[in-house]
Amino acid sequence: MTPIETLASCLLEGDPDKAWACIENYPETSRPDLYHHLLTPAMRHIGHLWETNKITVADEHLATATCDFILSKLAFSIGKERSGGKAMFLCLDGEQHYLGLKMVDSLFREQGWETRYFGPSLPLEYALQTAESWKPDIIGLSVSIVYHLPRLQQYVEAFSQLQKKPAILLGGRLTGMYDLRPHCTEDTVILGDLPETERWLQNFMTGGQQSGTTESIPSPPVFEC
Amino acid sequence: MERLNLSLPLPYLSVNRDGRIVSYSALADEWFDLSTGHIKSLVDEESVNKLGRISSGQGQAPVKMELNMITKEKPLALFDVHLQWNPENRASMIFLPKDSSNEDLIEKLMNIQNRLASTDFELLEKKDELEHVLRRMDELSGPFIPLSDSLCMIPLFGDITADKINTISESCLQSVFRGNYEVVLFDLTAVGEVQTDGIDQFIQLVKTLNFMTGNVIKLIGIKPNLAKELNHHHLDQWVQFNHSLKEELSIYLQQ
Repeated sequence: MTPIETLASCLLEGDPDKAWACIENYPETSRPDLYHHLLTPAMRHIGHLWETNKITVADEHLATATCDFILSKLAFSIGKERSGGKAMFLCLDGEQHYLGLKMVDSLFREQGWETRYFGPSLPLEYALQTAESWKPDIIGLSVSIVYHLPRLQQYVEAFSQLQKKPAILLGGRLTGMYDLRPHCTEDTVILGDLPETERWLQNFMTGGQQSGTTESIPSPPVFEC
Repeated sequence: MERLNLSLPLPYLSVNRDGRIVSYSALADEWFDLSTGHIKSLVDEESVNKLGRISSGQGQAPVKMELNMITKEKPLALFDVHLQWNPENRASMIFLPKDSSNEDLIEKLMNIQNRLASTDFELLEKKDELEHVLRRMDELSGPFIPLSDSLCMIPLFGDITADKINTISESCLQSVFRGNYEVVLFDLTAVGEVQTDGIDQFIQLVKTLNFMTGNVIKLIGIKPNLAKELNHHHLDQWVQFNHSLKEELSIYLQQ
């Protein structure tokens, strides 16, 4: 079994200790690399197992909860040095696929950002309330299921009316599959994956919002698939 | 498409190799929109490939798979689909909605996760609050007290940590600099423990005061345990030691 399959099987067993042991095999690997090259492919592999009729949705839920635990544990050791701005992260109402969002949250925290992570399914009114009182510089949204798309526009438009004009980022599984531009405002930044998000953040922090770009620099594979 | 007159307790479809619906049960008509006459229009876009792959086998053994279906009530509903091919190349399909108790369990799991997440959030907020309180405590742990035109006192409270000394340094320097004091007293009566990096910072503060104002700096109220600790740090080139505020004041009053 490849490291990715091994991790996937630990996640499916719902055994956080065994899954953590898989992670501990790579003490030198940075958090973003673990997210992008190990955890994400492991969860994709689990999706593939459902597609090939090897597991059920209930198994997927268990694997998700276990992966969630691993992400929390990985993010626990992030220092509290604050050198960036404020960012909040949420999934659209009804959207339950939150693992990618959680990884992005940790990415920002690692860069010294103060974050509020709301996880799955946050109704727009609550999101707006926090955005109005907390005044984040960035609002990150995630969407993974097609029939949640109609709500996307509502969210994006409501956030773009905010006084402080936060940058709006959009991620999630669908960004790599469809052109989501028609569902967003002009300024919405659509991010395909974690490395792209990382590059955008680097650019944002060095040059401000205008020079935030997502020009691609391919990252080398770390784990064999 | 033929409507079957069998009373089946679950939706039933008979489908040919092209995916066209040949016949259906009453319940299938009730649950699904059969107007296109094609199985693909009942299956969620992302489950179509799965159905194709799993059902394309040549054998006649029954297969079971989970599929997301589009029902009249919900755009996405999970079903166990049982499928079997017969010799006439028709697939019999029975649709079993995923047990609602299963959904209950999943919902409970989600609730627990949400609760954990919000608890985590509350803890985070408490932590921020606590940090704020600690900083505030540090700020208040070195008040500046002018005793006369030429004498002032800064009593230190609590443990001597680098954070605390850093926090009080600025206001302390400003206050001393603003006045025309000759003697600055640091009263250590209320000091608990001393951390090495704390004392290093303290020495920095004393040196700065010394360079800035040329004042005499005296430490008073040193308890035995503190004396032992301070002895390692060769403070005597920067400060004078006196026993207590009482003694210091009596010298001062006699002048």
